[in-house]
Amino acid sequence: MAPPAQSQRSQSPSQPSGKSEVSDLKLQLRQLAGSRAPGVDDSKRELFKKVISYMTIGIDVSSLFGEMVMCSATSDIVLKKMCYLYVGNYAKVNPDLALLTINFLQRDCHDQDPMIRGLALRSLCSLRVANLVEYLVGPLGSGLKDSNSYVRMVAVIGVLKLYHISASTCVDADFPSTLKHLMLNDSDTQVVANCLSALQEIWSAEASTSEEASREREALISKLVIYYLLNRIKEFSEWAQCLVLELVTKYVPSESSEIFDIMNLLEDRLQHANGAVVLATVKVFLQLTLSMTDVHQQVYERIKAPLLTLVSSGSPEQSYAVLSHLHLLVMRAPYVFSSDYKHFYCQYNEPSYVKRLKLEMLTAVANESNTYEIVTELCEYAANVDIPIARESIRAVGKIALQQYDVNAIVDRLLQFLEMEKDYVTAEALVLVKDLLRKYPQWSHDCIAVVGNISSKNVQEPKAKAALIWMLGEYSQDMQDAPYILESLVENWDEEHSAEVRLHLLTAVMKCFFKRPPETQSALGAALAAGVADFHQDVHDRALFYYRILRYNVSVAERVVNPPKQAVSVFADTQSSEIKDRIFDEFNSLSVLYQKPSYMFTDKEHRGPLEFADEIGNLSIGEATDNVVSSQRVEENDKDLLLTTAEKEETRAGHSQQASFGIDDLLGLGMPAVPNVPSPPQLKLNTKAALDPSTFQQKWRQLPIALSQELLLSPQAVAALTAPQALLRHMQSHSIHCIASGGQSPNFKFFFFAQKYEESSNYLVECIINTSSGKAQVKIKAEDQSTSQAFSTLFESALSKFGTP
Amino acid sequence: MPPLMGIEFLCRVSDVLSDYLGGLNEDVIKDNFVIVYELLDEMIDNGFPLTTEPNILREMIAPPNIVSKVLSVVTGNSSNVSDTLPGATGSCIPWRAADPKYANNEVYVDLVEEMDAVINRDGALVKCEVYGEVRVNSHLSGLPDLTLSFANPSILDDVRFHPCVRFRPWESHQILSFVPPDGEFKLMSYRVKKLKSTPIYVKPQLSSDAGKCRVNVLVGIRNDHGKTIDSITLQFQLPPCILSADLTSNTGTVNILGNKTCSWSIGRIPKDKTPSLSGTLVLESELERLHVFPTFRVGFKIMGVALSGLQIDKLDLKTAPSRLYKGFRALTRAGEFEVRS
Repeated sequence: MAPPAQSQRSQSPSQPSGKSEVSDLKLQLRQLAGSRAPGVDDSKRELFKKVISYMTIGIDVSSLFGEMVMCSATSDIVLKKMCYLYVGNYAKVNPDLALLTINFLQRDCHDQDPMIRGLALRSLCSLRVANLVEYLVGPLGSGLKDSNSYVRMVAVIGVLKLYHISASTCVDADFPSTLKHLMLNDSDTQVVANCLSALQEIWSAEASTSEEASREREALISKLVIYYLLNRIKEFSEWAQCLVLELVTKYVPSESSEIFDIMNLLEDRLQHANGAVVLATVKVFLQLTLSMTDVHQQVYERIKAPLLTLVSSGSPEQSYAVLSHLHLLVMRAPYVFSSDYKHFYCQYNEPSYVKRLKLEMLTAVANESNTYEIVTELCEYAANVDIPIARESIRAVGKIALQQYDVNAIVDRLLQFLEMEKDYVTAEALVLVKDLLRKYPQWSHDCIAVVGNISSKNVQEPKAKAALIWMLGEYSQDMQDAPYILESLVENWDEEHSAEVRLHLLTAVMKCFFKRPPETQSALGAALAAGVADFHQDVHDRALFYYRILRYNVSVAERVVNPPKQAVSVFADTQSSEIKDRIFDEFNSLSVLYQKPSYMFTDKEHRGPLEFADEIGNLSIGEATDNVVSSQRVEENDKDLLLTTAEKEETRAGHSQQASFGIDDLLGLGMPAVPNVPSPPQLKLNTKAALDPSTFQQKWRQLPIALSQELLLSPQAVAALTAPQALLRHMQSHSIHCIASGGQSPNFKFFFFAQKYEESSNYLVECIINTSSGKAQVKIKAEDQSTSQAFSTLFESALSKFGTP
Repeated sequence: MPPLMGIEFLCRVSDVLSDYLGGLNEDVIKDNFVIVYELLDEMIDNGFPLTTEPNILREMIAPPNIVSKVLSVVTGNSSNVSDTLPGATGSCIPWRAADPKYANNEVYVDLVEEMDAVINRDGALVKCEVYGEVRVNSHLSGLPDLTLSFANPSILDDVRFHPCVRFRPWESHQILSFVPPDGEFKLMSYRVKKLKSTPIYVKPQLSSDAGKCRVNVLVGIRNDHGKTIDSITLQFQLPPCILSADLTSNTGTVNILGNKTCSWSIGRIPKDKTPSLSGTLVLESELERLHVFPTFRVGFKIMGVALSGLQIDKLDLKTAPSRLYKGFRALTRAGEFEVRS
């Protein structure tokens, strides 16, 4: 809907009523309605413009309905159009008023000017008022027989609109068969195309109830109709061509000569300037030849060039859409594209979503002949400024290595990565070297020599650290220092936050022990002791298991922990081939872009909780660091934040709450999970507090700020706060629940709430944490003002415990 | 719905709107909301894209230009909608309005090429291709039937055509045969890959130690096409770990923008010296050496030559009017031209 012009907005500040202006307009319109003076159309136009701009900013101008209709008796098309817009907008909410307009719209349907006839018919059908359908049938019937194609075109869409208002009226008037007749006989291709889309929609909807309709739907993809449409395809507009081509993909030719006829006919569509037409044609080609293997291969060759051209022309959005389709094809037939690998090289300023796709394709097309070039190119990206892409490209190098072409050169490259002295490069490379060694144990010598030089202090990321520790354990006989490195790692057990790393450390020490017992014995003892005392359940269990099996029989333990290993030949593929085929069947649809078959994102049960919206988080952070923002804007942003995150938080809060309650009940505790809170005993919080986001939002707006303070965070808390979720869980254990959170390091923003025990008095908290300065800005609002200080102390003590094990 | 159909349609809508309104932003749309509404009404109905061909739309809804404003003042008739429906909706040539008349019959053909290249730090050409367009601006009376042929069509790797181009003559003889729309349009686009050389070279040298990085970049002409290379620019992003930069050049100007983008505009290369940029970058205190090296993006423009080597052979009009003026131009620009260091 068109927003108003700037000047008019300034005249009417956003007050909702604007009553005086409306009555003013009413008077002026009434004066003009009867006037036949020259230039009256111009003044009417100005007035109409004003009315519509009021309408779009939400002022109710429906009281002008009568005057507007009176004024619309004119030959000026622009006036008519504005009037139709006005009528269309108010008819839905005011069926009584809509009845008034029927008359003049019906009159316009018989106007001399085909443009007016068409417009009136379009507006008439767009009223969408159920009890007026009887007035639609007549004008639609004559519209379908109109001598002008413009009117017919509008009437066809009108039939579809009628069908959606009242299916029975539409079918009773026998419109579908009229449309069918028009589709096969009309001279104007746009009319034909509109008939086709209308019939497809109507018959698909009817097919479930009527056998005849489903037969008619089948008839649309009969040889007769398909050939009729294909023979005229060049006359259709580009959009209609897409429609026809989509229909052709459903057609099953009876013999192979037909397939070639169709492909010959459509070949030049691949050269069309409109990418949508090209892609639709590609789909036809692929679907038609599915059963003919060698022709299918030729089709790949044929469609390659047009698709590659599409990628390099047009906006990033267009190229992403095309690239996603190419990605699918590359995955199905990498060898076809192996000589075109240079097209998948990344350009410096491409958006990273395009780069990521290209990296995947480069990985897929690598073979004996091009691996060297591709890996060289990928190594360039490893030095890229864009760190996620750099990581991604190192992973790509690793994947290519696992495809076993020219492993020798790649291993050298990976080892070079390790020497680049960049933390993230080292981290990624370590993980890859580990995978590589699992597949090619014969390279262990070269790798271990380099890996041995890496100081474990420089490796911080859990995955990389785990990989390094795995190698220390696995190849401890080749690495001189292995036991001692492991020993120093065990000594720093408490500083290791990741349970994954601790698990690996346990196993590595065990392996090392079996290879070099005298050097490792003390480390093993320390590791088992630390492991058994570990608060993480898995670590604790594994340590206990190792301890017991060692006590039971050392040689059995060795067989369990350190069996001879077979090299891994194939790493599991993440997506099943069935799903890939499913996606291929849905070529040229969103399924390809999402890399999921459609049922996964259209069916309700497959739709996961909403992904956390990063940009929302950033948005609120921008505002958080900016202290002088008007309170209204803060509130607006808060609203956004709440609305988008609410759904996810609700579900998550629900789950974790249930889980923790389960344990509480199991242990027979009716108390909050952490009993030693040094808080004033008079304030107890309800562990099962519940509040829905909209109520939160409402209360947040109503309540005054009871307390506002700045708290200092301990260094442990700062270290633990890598993602908002960590704090959420912690606060939850203190009966302070999170309703929304956002942000990325170093800025986080949280909204918490808590409820007084056995009372429904709520506390609301906004907490903005900056981890680089280690400060938290806390604003507390309370329904019961007298206890706000007590709650604040509680909140502070809960926050201060964050990060301490 | 096919995703590309949606994206293409939106692109088309924005093209049409900016064509009508001479730009596209919030204010322009607010000021012309009636026209925007009228256009959208014709372009899409009930979710189906209808007419998006600018020539037809222009017949249905007159653009808000000065001429129509003047006309409305003179005649007092301000309707910006033509009285008759366009004939073309029913004709087989949807892109051409019915029978325009011109006193001077003119047709201009422009070859506009963009060179995309990636060059490695050792000067090796990683990838080099040209994306080109043939743009035609025709003002011809009646229904002109044009044929355009190239001297060397075999170098084209892939082509895409405006709907007006007939496919068969191209397939058999590589001749473009078409009835042009009125005014300016893109007749075809093409791609030429595997080019062997670039018109200019850029040699960056970066050496880094002791918390500093010395930069030296040379730019020069590689192959003399006989045409001057204009508006040469060089842009690169300084790595985030750089504290300060001191860069000077012997030709042109060097600017370091707020977002750590350094841009060096050279313009034309002088005859007597090779443009060079040199200076030092100071790294953050704890860094010894620079690990991330910038990528240089190069811009240039060459008038009068299509670097792909594509040449137009001839342009014929089947029913030649008495006076026909034909004009040809060529232009090559840098597209994504990158030099790594």
